[in-house]
Amino acid sequence: MAAIDPLVRELSQIVGPDAVLYRREDLIAYECDGYTVRKQPPRAVVFPSCTAEVSAVVKHLHERHIPFIPRGAGTGLSGGAIPLGGEVIISLVRMKRLLHVDYENRLAVVEPGFVNLKLTNAVAAKGYYYAPDPSSQYACTIGGNVAENAGGAHCLKYGVTTNHVLGLEVVLADGEIVEIGGVPDTPGYDLLGLLTGSEGTLGIVTKITVRILKNPEGKKTVLAYFDSVEEASRAVSDIVAAGIVPAALEMMDKTAIEGVEAGNYPVGHPKGLEALLLIEVDGISAGIDDQIARIVEVCQNRNVSEVKVAASEEERARWWANRKTAFPAMGAISPDYLVQDGVIPRSRLPEVLEKISRISARSGLRIANVFHAGDGNLHPLILFDARIPGETERAVQVGSEVLKACADAGGSITGEHGVGIEKKEEMRYIFTDEEIAAQIGIRDVFNPQNLLNPDKLFPKPGRCAEMRTAPGEAR
Amino acid sequence: MSAPATKSHYLWEDPPDEEKYSACVHCGLCLESCPTYLETGHEQQSPRGRVHLIKAVAEGKIPLSPGFEQPVFTCLDCRACETACPSGVQVGSLIEAARGQIRKAMPLTGWRALLHAVFLRGVFPHPSRLFALGKLMKLYQRSGLQALARKTGLLNLLPGHLQAMERVVPAVPDPVMKRYPEVIPAQGTPRGRVALLTGCVMDVLFGDINEATVRVLTRNGYEVVVPRDQRCCGALHIHAGDREQGKILARRNIDAFLHARVDSVIVNAAGCGCALKEYPELLQNDPAYREKAVQFAEKVADISKFLAAHGYEKPTGRVEARVAYHDACHLAHGQGIRAEPRQLLREIPGVAWVEMPLADRCCGSAGIYNLTHPEMAGKILDEKMKAVPEQADIIAMGNPGCMLQMMMGVHRHGRTQRVVHTVQLLDWAYQREAAPQEERGM
Amino acid sequence: MAAMAITKAITVGKIRPAAEPLHVLGNHGAYEVFPETEEEIAAVLQAAHAHSLSVIPMGGGTKRGWGGTLEKADILLCLSSCRGIVEYSPGDMTVTVKAGTTIREIAEQLAVHGQMLPLDPFWPDAATIGGVVAANDSGPKRLRYGSARDHVIGLRVVYPDGRVIRTGGKVVKNVAGYDMSKLFIGSMGTLGVMSEITLKLRPVPPCQSLLLLAFPNADFPAIRSFVLAVLDSTMEPVSLELLSPALHQAMNGRDGYALAIALEDGEKAVRYQEEWLIAHAPPGTEIRSWRQEEAAHWWSRFYRMFPSGVSPADRQAAEMALKIGSRNLDVLELVKTCHDLGERHGLAVEGHGGLGHGISRVYVKGDPARFAAYLQEVRTAAEERGGYAVVQHASLAVRRQLDVWGRPPAGFSLMQGVKRAIDPRQVCSPNRFVGGI
Repeated sequence: MAAIDPLVRELSQIVGPDAVLYRREDLIAYECDGYTVRKQPPRAVVFPSCTAEVSAVVKHLHERHIPFIPRGAGTGLSGGAIPLGGEVIISLVRMKRLLHVDYENRLAVVEPGFVNLKLTNAVAAKGYYYAPDPSSQYACTIGGNVAENAGGAHCLKYGVTTNHVLGLEVVLADGEIVEIGGVPDTPGYDLLGLLTGSEGTLGIVTKITVRILKNPEGKKTVLAYFDSVEEASRAVSDIVAAGIVPAALEMMDKTAIEGVEAGNYPVGHPKGLEALLLIEVDGISAGIDDQIARIVEVCQNRNVSEVKVAASEEERARWWANRKTAFPAMGAISPDYLVQDGVIPRSRLPEVLEKISRISARSGLRIANVFHAGDGNLHPLILFDARIPGETERAVQVGSEVLKACADAGGSITGEHGVGIEKKEEMRYIFTDEEIAAQIGIRDVFNPQNLLNPDKLFPKPGRCAEMRTAPGEAR
Repeated sequence: MSAPATKSHYLWEDPPDEEKYSACVHCGLCLESCPTYLETGHEQQSPRGRVHLIKAVAEGKIPLSPGFEQPVFTCLDCRACETACPSGVQVGSLIEAARGQIRKAMPLTGWRALLHAVFLRGVFPHPSRLFALGKLMKLYQRSGLQALARKTGLLNLLPGHLQAMERVVPAVPDPVMKRYPEVIPAQGTPRGRVALLTGCVMDVLFGDINEATVRVLTRNGYEVVVPRDQRCCGALHIHAGDREQGKILARRNIDAFLHARVDSVIVNAAGCGCALKEYPELLQNDPAYREKAVQFAEKVADISKFLAAHGYEKPTGRVEARVAYHDACHLAHGQGIRAEPRQLLREIPGVAWVEMPLADRCCGSAGIYNLTHPEMAGKILDEKMKAVPEQADIIAMGNPGCMLQMMMGVHRHGRTQRVVHTVQLLDWAYQREAAPQEERGM
Repeated sequence: MAAMAITKAITVGKIRPAAEPLHVLGNHGAYEVFPETEEEIAAVLQAAHAHSLSVIPMGGGTKRGWGGTLEKADILLCLSSCRGIVEYSPGDMTVTVKAGTTIREIAEQLAVHGQMLPLDPFWPDAATIGGVVAANDSGPKRLRYGSARDHVIGLRVVYPDGRVIRTGGKVVKNVAGYDMSKLFIGSMGTLGVMSEITLKLRPVPPCQSLLLLAFPNADFPAIRSFVLAVLDSTMEPVSLELLSPALHQAMNGRDGYALAIALEDGEKAVRYQEEWLIAHAPPGTEIRSWRQEEAAHWWSRFYRMFPSGVSPADRQAAEMALKIGSRNLDVLELVKTCHDLGERHGLAVEGHGGLGHGISRVYVKGDPARFAAYLQEVRTAAEERGGYAVVQHASLAVRRQLDVWGRPPAGFSLMQGVKRAIDPRQVCSPNRFVGGI
């Protein structure tokens, strides 16, 4: 048995012995997050319980040039919390308090380890909710949501995490604690906006002020079944073109439906469907029925085979549980899956879906499509079996091809899951070397020694290494 | 990336099933359902983490070591994660298989081994010894020894959690197995013939619940058989990694109940019901019993589910009480039974329903978990008690282990609630039809 | 020297020495340069970078009085010729426009397809999208629709050294890399020049209405509890803007505080909300309402109340505007404080603030010598509540005497780092932003 890493003792002195993990078996549990294609255990896992401890741990690591990774619930899908070699994981799950709710000013202050759905549960009694609703909201933390700028089914109307974060307390790479935001448009550059979605490379968020919203007065949910993917995707554009801003507009294709029906939350969708749409409209009750009527009409014009409105809250909840657990439900029909997160302009849905199905046919791997159709955010789930030699690599390759197709359609390689380690190389599909260098230039301001979550987000230097920073500028 | 041929460290019979752990996609949706993860925040103490470790042992990445044993045995086997899991990973079954492997690789030593040998192997499988133990307890309670022990401080020699348990153990009646004939006739028009699993803890500590169950069944026209050859269900053994003993008990029970020629095997202890239903899996590699196990398991029904499915006479007697319901893990998560007991309770005249938040959160009892992991069990119980509504008079549930644990919680938190079994409330209501002026609910 | 460098970068016809050498608001340039393409902007900046010249970008000039202590930079980069829609895809509800396009022009083009840019900045006829985004300007309707940071999904930015960098993209949801667009929104032109801006759109609501609730006896507790009731209800007002007595007087010819509540939704929903609001208004409230074009007309008058770089010069010199940020409900107290302080300092003060979004604005007229003391007191009041007050418009002379931005915000060293990383030679809008950035 190897001697205990002296770092463990030092960290224990800061946070206490029960707040550091170092046994091999324990570290193995931290070798990956929701992205399982790559695995590497951390050097240690440390569990600070307050901002001061986070700061002290970071200072200690910074002084010794030891890299570190902040981690929440580890539900991320792009490998943002996976060590690549020798990093210490700073787990924020013990900082999980709801600190303050101010209903008059419609805000809540939480610690980073506070679970997304718990915020809505905490304010529900007074008729409020927290809008960003990633499908992992049962488990994911708001700190992680900020790091990834998480989205969700209802961002179509209400925006993603960045639209709901009002203030942050951040521990910087050297351990300094800064509070930013708090009131709107604070003078100076929008560090709040920059930090949100920076995937743990610019700082560790230790306190978050978010907006809470009043529940809409009315809400209606429609389920529409289609015999053709193309008709379903055209219905999506038609709904938006009709001037309706649905709260959510989700789509699943045949394989995805097979998965959710085999999973733990089946709805009992009819067999043999090619696609379904789950559409939700909310707002002032008066007039919602008109919008629903309009949606039904649009679907009928697109040859919908069946369209129905949720008759009760229970039914609505069942439809949503079915949709929200769609990714992991694929575990029921395939040993492994890789989920992609491309975005395309909504109007190009039919052609890109067609392209994806060609990629699937060519590769021999099944692809299930379940996605936020309303904002063009595709989630192709590439089904594979890691036990078959070479299949993991093939799945990764297919994922990359799908992202290329999205980028070529004028879209993006990630809408809400982040780049992490998964899509670093694919950054080149949408950004030039110069543009990537410009982003690295910003990282260097916050994280000059690249200790904070190193080697994430940006492609390996190579072609990128010699790009000019600025002509004649010494750095 | 694709692993080179690795060597599994599972060398014994019944290793964790690869199909089961590969269904886990590591999404993490189970995390918040897991009492031990909520308590520690440690990934290896979460369902996903444990499954990941189980897989890591199979892949030869880590050995069957104390570092593996600890998280695997800290699991409550409450199965809340199975409810949360979108891809239907059978975490409980994986944990039980892993425990089996661990016990083979690292047999218990010292006082734990002794405890295991005495109780799990020495007492529980043998009804006569179990009843003897019950008698001893009764003697202890009635002879004044209990009072003496409490007064002299003799009890202070026991570990804290055992002291706590001693305080709440109910007055022990005689077991049903002793007091009733093997076949108890139905009242009125016969509707069928059922067998009752009396259970070990249930019959020794909560004989009155078995009695209530018998009364409710016969009242509804069922002839009730209490097979004399039945044994402890083996759940405790399987949970502890003693699969061999578990299989021995399973085979005996299958024989005993199939021999009884009944339509259904009624269980009023959630943990036992769950274990019985899982006999087919336990005995899947046993050619002589594989099919019998399936045949048997199909007959097993929890009392609340059975009544709901076959209909029962709605009571007209009143139980005036505010009632909250706690989901026993092995009913709600293990068997998916949630609505039936609630429905049954709410239809009792006089019952005022009090909603318990997080009703399906484990109470920390988990078989003998409260004995093996008292500290964790205590923390989980404290969390549970926070959710128990102050205004409830009665906390109802469908599992004796939970009842004991919740009684401790009530005691420890200075509450006054009465902890009862669902079927007891129905029984009271029936009894009050005859004598409505009798003592009121409390 | 400067002239030589510029003439190499851009056709001589697009350069002219400043017509009027001085401007009362400053932020002028020795040369006015009028690029028509992104390449020309890049060429000018590249030249400026090479020769360490200073450049102030300008769109419609409405925000010329906002920040900065330079009378003139070497170059005033006039973007009014970089205008027009680059790409508009109604089906995707996104639009890409050149920075010099006015808000009004964009609105007109989008209206053809029943869509709108959900931003309501001041002086929409003159203000350009580039200027609005660079200054992060917004109006009362941000309560419902949000501000520039909620709508901008991508930018093309000419960096201070002439490189063209794209940030974000053209799709409505995108987390690839850092959200770099955010850095440029509200950066006051200190980090480069935006050449193209891609924005998220919304459908034009079928029905618009404006309710004006006036409270002649200024019963603040009653106003507060009414506002709280609205915010705590399921009503979805687009604005909940408190007008100070002087502004109410100027806009509507009546006395007292008033609330301007815009409703924009389907016809049934708007009517229902009107009824609800009227039913819940405190006793004694005077209620007026405008619908459709009338409501739009009221707002277009409102957007012109703000002092601007395009209003007559004499007016500009004698006016100051403040922007105050606070928590939502503090707006009530702050607007009142600004009004009361005006009376004490002998200044005419028109103010308004968004209950529910936290931004207030105050227009001050009178003796500029009194502005500094007034600002100081307003700033103290805002800071006591965790907010801030900045000068959004003042003449150069006044700005040189005042602390326009107040003390540097938290994380200021990071902001300096960002500026150094992007504009190490201080080419773009030197000293125009907070802390001398």
